[in-house]
Amino acid sequence: MTAYPSVDAARLRLTEALVATGREDRAAFRDVYTLTSAKLFGVVLRICGERQAAEDVLHEVYLTIWKRAGGYEPGRASPISWLATIARNRAIDWRRAQGVRRTGRLEEASEIADDTVSADEAMLGDEADRALHLCLDALEERQRLAIRTAFFDGITYAELAERQSVPLGTMKSWVRRGLARLKDCLDADA
Amino acid sequence: MPTPETGEPDVAAAELALGLLEGEERAVALRRMLAEPSFARDVEIWRAHFSTLFTQWPEAEIPDGFSRIETALWAPAAPVTRIWQALAMVSTALAACLLLALAFRPETRPPLPVARPAPLVAALAPTDKSPPLAAVYDSASGEVRVASTTLAPQGRVAQLWAIAGDGVPHALGLLKTGAATTVQIAPENRARMAAGTTLAVSVEPLGGSPKPVPTGPVVATGALSRV
Repeated sequence: MTAYPSVDAARLRLTEALVATGREDRAAFRDVYTLTSAKLFGVVLRICGERQAAEDVLHEVYLTIWKRAGGYEPGRASPISWLATIARNRAIDWRRAQGVRRTGRLEEASEIADDTVSADEAMLGDEADRALHLCLDALEERQRLAIRTAFFDGITYAELAERQSVPLGTMKSWVRRGLARLKDCLDADA
Repeated sequence: MPTPETGEPDVAAAELALGLLEGEERAVALRRMLAEPSFARDVEIWRAHFSTLFTQWPEAEIPDGFSRIETALWAPAAPVTRIWQALAMVSTALAACLLLALAFRPETRPPLPVARPAPLVAALAPTDKSPPLAAVYDSASGEVRVASTTLAPQGRVAQLWAIAGDGVPHALGLLKTGAATTVQIAPENRARMAAGTTLAVSVEPLGGSPKPVPTGPVVATGALSRV
């Protein structure tokens, strides 16, 4: 396995900092924090929905990262994906433990524009294959919206159905068919 | 979970990766994650696909929280803090004595309400359909109590796991056979002990699974919920 295939400086720097964190290098951990805290806070804040709680969850996320960094494998995932997944999962855990139900609207998800190119796009490098984006675009509008909302808001079928004012069974049916089409499209692409 | 009755496709791996499922559907998917390596692999593949969406996630400004992290991880307690901690412990002990004195006064009074988080409970349903096994987690003491079980045959041991939002099983401890067990939850696992977290029991070689994940069959699962 090549250590860092065709990546640019930002991703390389974060990868190295994360790997060094796994060896309990405190200065490297500080670099990881500096490079990623705004991104991870964005993830946690959106899912938690309140600032104070989100700061507490983010604090825990970094404690988790410190403990788990030794298990990070550079060849398997981009560092920002690995870190953001921990943040998203922890924020979802918090939300479900609170029994939080925000009755926002499904359209909220579209605030995150499909074509946003963010500064850390580079960190994902080539791995950010366009496949998922292209395949999502091929779905029906309501399927794409539901799947994107589930991802960005970290909500369940029940909350999706509530927000869109459709029966739970209908929502499951839309999303399941959407995910099946997505799978076919991704498999064809692979 | 395949849903032949509705003709809907089996996309449970994607549903689990996204976090769409709850309750029994989620418990079923988590069981598959433990029991079917190909399912677990699919969940990982879906996570990797969805993680490409993180590039679109807007950042949010946060006041520097690194000093708080440093303190939590590395700071030794300063002497002044220790004095206050000692004082706090003394006053806690005093309060406890007072509470006991009050509670054991002979006259019949209603018991004093003690602020204590409600415990979390789970009914662990064995796969062989035998009666469920009760588990109670007390976040104040960080202990989970599991009722007496005979899930492990001779020469094997039952091991308790927690599976929270990340879908990864974390070992909590080993269960006695034929007697109730109290397991002290390691600090790093306490945040995982929340409503919705699945507890699972697997049958392992004596001493517990040699790997970070279960190696033997999963014989009982159930989700924690608040009483």
